[in-house]
Amino acid sequence: MDFVLLVSRLQFAMTAFFHFVFVPLTLGLSTLSAIMLTLHYATGKEIYRDMAKFWAKLFAINFALGVATGLVHEFEFGMNWSVYSRFVGDIFGAPLAIEGLLAFFMESTFMGVFLFGWDKVPKAVHLLAAWLSSIGSNLSALWILVANGWMQHPVGAKVEMAAAGKRAVMSDWWAVVFNPVADVKFWHTATAGMILASVFVLSVSAYHLLRKQHVEFFKKSAYIALIFGFIASVGEIIIGDIHAHEVAKTQPTKLAAMEALWDTKQGANVLLFAWADQKAQKNVVEIPLPIPGLLSFLATHDFNGKLLGAKDLQKMFEAKFGPGEYIPPVNFVFWAFHIMVYLGFFFVLLFLVGLIKYKDLENSPGFLKLALYSLPLPYIACWLGWATAEVGRQPWIVYPLTDDYGKILLPDIGLKTAQAVSPLTSVEVIITYILFAVTFTGLAIADFYLLSKFATKGPEKEAELY
Amino acid sequence: MHFDLQTIWAILVTILVAGYVVTDGFDLGVGILHPFVAKTDIERRVNINAIGPVWDGNEVWFITAGGAAFAAFPELYAALFSSLYIALFVVLLALIYRAVSFEFRSKEESEGWRKFWDQSIFWSSLIVALLIGVAIGNILAGLPIINSHIKGDILHGFVYAEKFPMSFINLVNPFVFHGLFGLLVGVTTVLFIIMHGVSWLLWKTEGSIAERARSIGLKVWLPFVIMYVICTGLAYTISFKVKNPELAKKYLELPPDMFQQIASMLDSNGVLHHALFRFPVIEIALIVLAALCAVGWLIAVKNANGASAFLFSTLTFLFAGFAVMFGAYPLAVPSSIALEHSITIYNGASSHLTLTVMLIAAIIFTPIVIAYQAWVYKMFLFKISPESIKREIEEAAEH
Repeated sequence: MDFVLLVSRLQFAMTAFFHFVFVPLTLGLSTLSAIMLTLHYATGKEIYRDMAKFWAKLFAINFALGVATGLVHEFEFGMNWSVYSRFVGDIFGAPLAIEGLLAFFMESTFMGVFLFGWDKVPKAVHLLAAWLSSIGSNLSALWILVANGWMQHPVGAKVEMAAAGKRAVMSDWWAVVFNPVADVKFWHTATAGMILASVFVLSVSAYHLLRKQHVEFFKKSAYIALIFGFIASVGEIIIGDIHAHEVAKTQPTKLAAMEALWDTKQGANVLLFAWADQKAQKNVVEIPLPIPGLLSFLATHDFNGKLLGAKDLQKMFEAKFGPGEYIPPVNFVFWAFHIMVYLGFFFVLLFLVGLIKYKDLENSPGFLKLALYSLPLPYIACWLGWATAEVGRQPWIVYPLTDDYGKILLPDIGLKTAQAVSPLTSVEVIITYILFAVTFTGLAIADFYLLSKFATKGPEKEAELY
Repeated sequence: MHFDLQTIWAILVTILVAGYVVTDGFDLGVGILHPFVAKTDIERRVNINAIGPVWDGNEVWFITAGGAAFAAFPELYAALFSSLYIALFVVLLALIYRAVSFEFRSKEESEGWRKFWDQSIFWSSLIVALLIGVAIGNILAGLPIINSHIKGDILHGFVYAEKFPMSFINLVNPFVFHGLFGLLVGVTTVLFIIMHGVSWLLWKTEGSIAERARSIGLKVWLPFVIMYVICTGLAYTISFKVKNPELAKKYLELPPDMFQQIASMLDSNGVLHHALFRFPVIEIALIVLAALCAVGWLIAVKNANGASAFLFSTLTFLFAGFAVMFGAYPLAVPSSIALEHSITIYNGASSHLTLTVMLIAAIIFTPIVIAYQAWVYKMFLFKISPESIKREIEEAAEH
């Protein structure tokens, strides 16, 4: 692969990786601390005030790096992917701009009021600010996923020749906003943020409960996290199913890779385990789940439904777009997707067991230890989800528009990742890659250090000041 | 000037960039002033808390301006950010360090830790302010860009003719005109940002910090005015050459009458003299207004009146900024190689549908954003001082 292309891809993936350390916690924890603040103002109990303050502080430490990495992300489109940016800007830029105007201003401005407004602004204003900040962060995710959803399924657009060359232009704004792929992606991501924040709160609470310190405070926090997390994790399984069904319709090559499905089949089985030989176009090992036709059912809602295998898809794409590799790396996508799904089921169990044991939570060291060590798992699940979505899209940066049965409707709008990269030199990309890597890593370490310092310290009385 | 969608968007993007410089500008200024106005740890905390609840919302102007440029002028966004790759990278790096510096600084007691983030606040603020000015200056003076469609390439759009490292070095190379102009505009921007920071500190703080800010403000005023005059004079000498009028007619995509007007200003060699001064009355009026507001600022600072100083520094930048926009119009990024390779607000713009949809969103939401930001500012406009911060820390400990 071309060096500039390779490093640009690595750099974008790295930025996404770091960005998504901070964003999902922001999405969920803003909501959880708003709930706690609501409980404080509704009941007048001091403990909820301390809870809101404690968790909001962790939220604030986490937030700064989310903004910083998001900023880099926005500008990297123009920096490293200028051909992509000029080709899709007419459509892709609009949700990004609206995200800033409609959502991000709201989140950042009101977060300032929430964090610094204790006893300085009226109670109603303070509470409203907490909720507006949480709504703002989730609206932010909505618009980003409208943009991302369009790369996966470029609806509402046509291709034209302009002064500076070929480009995609918008033909239907509402089709872009109500892109079914984008909307289901939003619910999937927002819910993932809630699960992650719930595991985060549960895990930090478990740390203190294991030490039998601040028991009432962290038991109450854990309770909110358990309920919130249980609802979110059950919801996520349903949303995940809808999402996979959407992928089957719109991105057949991604689905084939997710399920390591090489041959076109009716009544296809779900594989629990598979290892593929990409060159030979077959699986070396596969262990199917003993429910015949389940994959066909999940993808098409018919146990006998026909699913196109990677071999036939490769032929179809070659006939349409000329020679090339059109199947994403199967082992990578299969395992990213499957581990994410397994983790999804694990979270349901974790919250369920927690709810059952809740009454005597502080005396259940086994469960508390499990909860404590589960902290990295939702992060891993989030990354794997994005890896499935974005690596599964390859070799395309804009996937050619398909109809509901995987037939390609608008081949011209398809843009390959290899075509989309900026005409940069190797020196430039390697400089930025290394310095971003060092910076992000260093700051993430500092951030985790501070998070763990304040998380393990427990609630305390301190002025909200820089 | 036409009142079409592209022009409205040129004005809107200018407003967003100006919104960024006016809002984040004062907190950048406070960052640059940080080591000079605050000597003790408690004073440094006052200085940072003066912008504490608002800097984050201010930075969103940058993100939104970037997003709006992406949506309304994708060719501009793609060409500029890939061409100014390393310069933009340095700005992003500085913005990252700035964001986390504010957040991390007070979270540890150790002196070394706090010193590190204090340094980071100063340098990152200075670099951002300088490079924003450098970028504006370079763009106005014209960059070596080529419309690759003219050469038959339908995918790459506007690309930079120079390669790294010259592409980067020339941005600040005093021996190349656009680099020299970029440096001068950069220094002028830093001086302005310092003035704007002084305005804010006078408004928001009292005691030792406000006093030191005031005396620094009185010292930077004259250098700023001199630099502004030099930049304006030098801007008057900028000219561009049209090599092939037929290509210019086809690829700049200007409305016919606007193209005729520019064509009539070319001399026999195809050179457009005083390229940034094609609306002299409006531009000179705006420049004079900017200068008058700078004088108003000096009087306000002398009287230690923070609110009016802030108003005057804001207006100084708005007038100067709009003079620049009028000067460049309808060019967005002029090409120093040949004018026909330039990005204009027409050939760089999105489709009418996108511009319309975005305009509706902007009309609805921009006033709402400005309203709630103003409201939040009003809530946090109580004065702070080393004494008040000390009191707050003590009270919280007793609570």
